[in-house]
Amino acid sequence: MIAADRAKDTSGLGNSPLLQGIAVHKDYGGVHAVRGVDFRIAQNSYVTLLGPSGCGKTSLLRMIGGFEALSSGVLELDGQSLDGVPASRRPVNTVFQNYALFPHLSVEENVGFGLAYRSLSKAEMASNVESALALVQMSPMAKRRPRQLSGGQQQRVALARAIVNEPRLLLLDETLSALDRRMRKDMQIELKDLQRRLGMTFLHVTHDQEEAFALSDEIIVMNNGRIEQQASPAEIYRRPATAYVADFIGGANLAPGRILSVAGETAVIDTPLGRFECPSVAGLQEGDKAVLCIRSELLRLQAGEGGFEAVVTHTVFRGAEWLVEAKTQGGIVISLIVDEPEPPLVGSAVRLGFDPARGWIVSAPTEG
Amino acid sequence: MARSRTGFWLSVPVYAAVVALCVAPLLILLAYSFFQVSFVAVLKEPTLKNYVRILGSETYRWLILKTFGSGLMVAAITAVIGYPVAWFIAKRVVAAKSAFLTLLLVPLYTGDLVRIFAWRMLLGAEGVINTFLMAIGVIREPIGALLFSSLATHIVLTYNYLPFMVLGLWLAFEALDDRLVEAAADLGAGATSTFRRVTLPLTLPGLVAGSLMVFVMVVGDYLTPQLLGGASGVTIISAINDLFGTAFDWPLGSAIAWTMLAILALAFAGAAIVISRSSLGKALAAGEA
Ligand SMILES: Nc1ncnc2c1ncn2[C@@H]1O[C@H](COP(=O)(O)OP(=O)(O)O)[C@@H](O)[C@H]1O
Ligand SMILES: [Mg+2]
Repeated sequence: MIAADRAKDTSGLGNSPLLQGIAVHKDYGGVHAVRGVDFRIAQNSYVTLLGPSGCGKTSLLRMIGGFEALSSGVLELDGQSLDGVPASRRPVNTVFQNYALFPHLSVEENVGFGLAYRSLSKAEMASNVESALALVQMSPMAKRRPRQLSGGQQQRVALARAIVNEPRLLLLDETLSALDRRMRKDMQIELKDLQRRLGMTFLHVTHDQEEAFALSDEIIVMNNGRIEQQASPAEIYRRPATAYVADFIGGANLAPGRILSVAGETAVIDTPLGRFECPSVAGLQEGDKAVLCIRSELLRLQAGEGGFEAVVTHTVFRGAEWLVEAKTQGGIVISLIVDEPEPPLVGSAVRLGFDPARGWIVSAPTEG
Repeated sequence: MARSRTGFWLSVPVYAAVVALCVAPLLILLAYSFFQVSFVAVLKEPTLKNYVRILGSETYRWLILKTFGSGLMVAAITAVIGYPVAWFIAKRVVAAKSAFLTLLLVPLYTGDLVRIFAWRMLLGAEGVINTFLMAIGVIREPIGALLFSSLATHIVLTYNYLPFMVLGLWLAFEALDDRLVEAAADLGAGATSTFRRVTLPLTLPGLVAGSLMVFVMVVGDYLTPQLLGGASGVTIISAINDLFGTAFDWPLGSAIAWTMLAILALAFAGAAIVISRSSLGKALAAGEA
């Protein structure tokens, strides 16, 4: 049916994007849910929209789906403005947060619902429904009603009901959140696999960064109605654009400070932990307030001189290693990974060091 | 053991009340419907003559048909008016919802007679409507047919029972998940198609419940046709009333009452079968399974 291994282009920059948002703004009578965001979503990519609850993810998705009008800005699909195009005419399908299966229809009737609006023969319709159900391994349940299915099964039906229409863009809103951990992991792998096989573009909303990492070609990090960064998972993890992203993704250690000098792609920052020369975001200038980000796994317990001192406050066994929390004299809480049989004692003083070439400097967040 | 026996004795009054108040009168009526009247005495010899007489009488057949016809018509009219009203209250009114519902129910607090006389003032030859139409010169003579006509009866029946239809439908609309309507649009359904494939099937229980309520109440309404129908005010109910009263033919009255009951029961059973065969009924059954 729709299975086709299409060549993949995830750059989103060179080629014209499938979907483009320009200054997209949503104001619910005073509540500014989305504050003028720009983004591009490439053909055949798996993009996740990641952010804390209430940051405007659903609002953005609903505008793309056509369920909510933009307060201002433009959405373009294949270069055509979506302004005034009703949801029913958009080549976009949604897997809703609560699945929204029709309770009065059987599984196969649910899946076939959208096919009625295409010029297909009865036989073609039936075979499309059948292969969509097979794709999500729900063929044996075709005659059941949604209420007779488990959450995970309803999920699969909702997915089949959307992809059977071969949308240009598939929207998924916190689709996996309601599933238990084990099933969520399985579904993540299946979703990713499905997207690759179908060569469809998926835009998936989630508040779970692990999920975003597992699925995405690109992640759009949202906070408070704004897009903080859009990049590949590795880029987001290694070179977060803002202190917020550094903290939200993987919980980096953050040390506020001031820029002493800038040289090309690196800068020297003065922090309570000491002075470090590290790679930095573009646009920093001498004297700027900035934040040094150090990932937990980069920090090492250090014998002898160098590094900075901290007092161990907490140790947590994580199976493969220890997660150690320590506090510096300046009151900065530091977490690090210790890969040894025994962790340092709580209350003991330790010296910590890291390779400055793997640190990262971002601008200080503007208050507000 | 002891506990369940206590439970049994505790529930006896409930059963007794139901039997005494509901079942017994119906059974007495049923018994009477097989008796006969000779002058002023009731002959307690079982016979089917009353039923034969009803079926053979064009008048009674016509009255029964007319009554059920009124019920169907008013149910249909209230459904057509009530459906958008219920949708509006459930889906468009946010803050003033309880105010709307109260407003809808206010007429019910006033009592039948008050409402009927209020309508007489509106519809009468010197009533508000005629006076107004003459004042603005649309008509010269008052329209007599406004009051004491089948039209007046049905206007007021519609007015009286509309709230019940709206309530039934309102509940159905409250239970209708808006996200299903969005899902239909997402899958390509336009407004009409969404209505036909999602909204209507999912509000059908409310529509059926409201229609049954209105139908039964219209069929049983005695005052409205009597006081507003004029010559058309004779109904099967008023006929039963006459048989029990002035004519003193309880057996025939009982037989008509039971004929009506039997037809109603058949109609209900038919409706139940239609609903359970519909996709919605199957969904409900699946939910219970
Ligand atoms: N229909 C609405 N009317 C008013 N405010 C809304 C509406 N929908 C969402 N909001 C508000 O907009 C903000 C963003 O909501 P939402 O887009 O649902 O965020 P998320 O999906 O990231 O949790 C929240 O403050 C929410 O309360
Ligand atoms: Mg949401």
